[in-house]
Amino acid sequence: MSSFLRGVWDNTYGLLVDDGQLAIGAIVALAITWIIAQYASDALRQGAGWLLLVMVIVLVIANVYRAGQNARRKLKRT
Amino acid sequence: MDLGTLAIAATPAFIASAVEFVEATTIVLAVGLTRGWRAPLVGAALAALTLAVIVATLGVALVNYIPEHVLLGIVGTLLLLFGLRWLRKAVLRFAGIVALHDEEEIYRREVAELRAQGRSRREWDWVGTVVSYKAVLLEGTEVAFIVISFGAKGVGAMTAAIWGAVAAGVIVVAVAAALRTPLTAVPENLLKFIVGAMLTTFGIFWFGEGVGAEWPGDAASIPVILGLVLVTSWVSVKMLGALLPEGAHVEARNV
Repeated sequence: MSSFLRGVWDNTYGLLVDDGQLAIGAIVALAITWIIAQYASDALRQGAGWLLLVMVIVLVIANVYRAGQNARRKLKRT
Repeated sequence: MDLGTLAIAATPAFIASAVEFVEATTIVLAVGLTRGWRAPLVGAALAALTLAVIVATLGVALVNYIPEHVLLGIVGTLLLLFGLRWLRKAVLRFAGIVALHDEEEIYRREVAELRAQGRSRREWDWVGTVVSYKAVLLEGTEVAFIVISFGAKGVGAMTAAIWGAVAAGVIVVAVAAALRTPLTAVPENLLKFIVGAMLTTFGIFWFGEGVGAEWPGDAASIPVILGLVLVTSWVSVKMLGALLPEGAHVEARNV
């Protein structure tokens, strides 16, 4: 039973998370957006969606850049 | 519900489902052509039934019992996480860091494994049933997830998303049944790239709507967001190309 539940958990987790750092970064970006939408001034709140877009763009570029650096290190070792 | 909302629900469900159905069909074909058709078809039918139950129960619960702004927040979060996962993998594949998805190779590997297991002609082929069930359920869970997310805006959107997925399934299965070979001509990697960008876009748009952000022109912002996500992906592929030595292909899983 525990192996079955572990399998269900692994599949569900794998469905949403491929790279832990990217998933955590996305959740942090969503949390910042939510906080701004709840507590910031009207003008800032209305632009919260665009802020989320900018954060996601930065996150994607930073994440794949890190992946590229890791790949380059692997290539140098081989 | 207007035509635009229905198209928003049906189109990503159709494209994403087509990709997932191609992957599931490869495994079912491998089982059917090596071990006979009855067992894998029963496995696939049982998995389809399981998925229908998941979509019906979760979909109905989401549409009927959760307030719309909370629902948009939840769906936006899940779509963003799901979309970024697809997009990252697609970028790494196009940059040569992760191996491209190859249906022919998967088919050959699956056939070799199934032949190695052998089978008794007198007993029910449980291996065939289970392999087929697992493949369809695993790939179908992603389809179910996408259908539920894009259908969460209401009954009309849910119906459109379901029809999008069903249409993709019918087309893929019909073509696979006619050809009886893995559908290698389907540009899966490109489609995954597009789906990743679409899921990420809708995740950002709906989460923004859910928390009360205003998008200029409402849904008219979606093409702008999608364009920026696609440009970011293209820049990322180019950046990785510049980072690695020319012609280098790493094809490593954990980078």
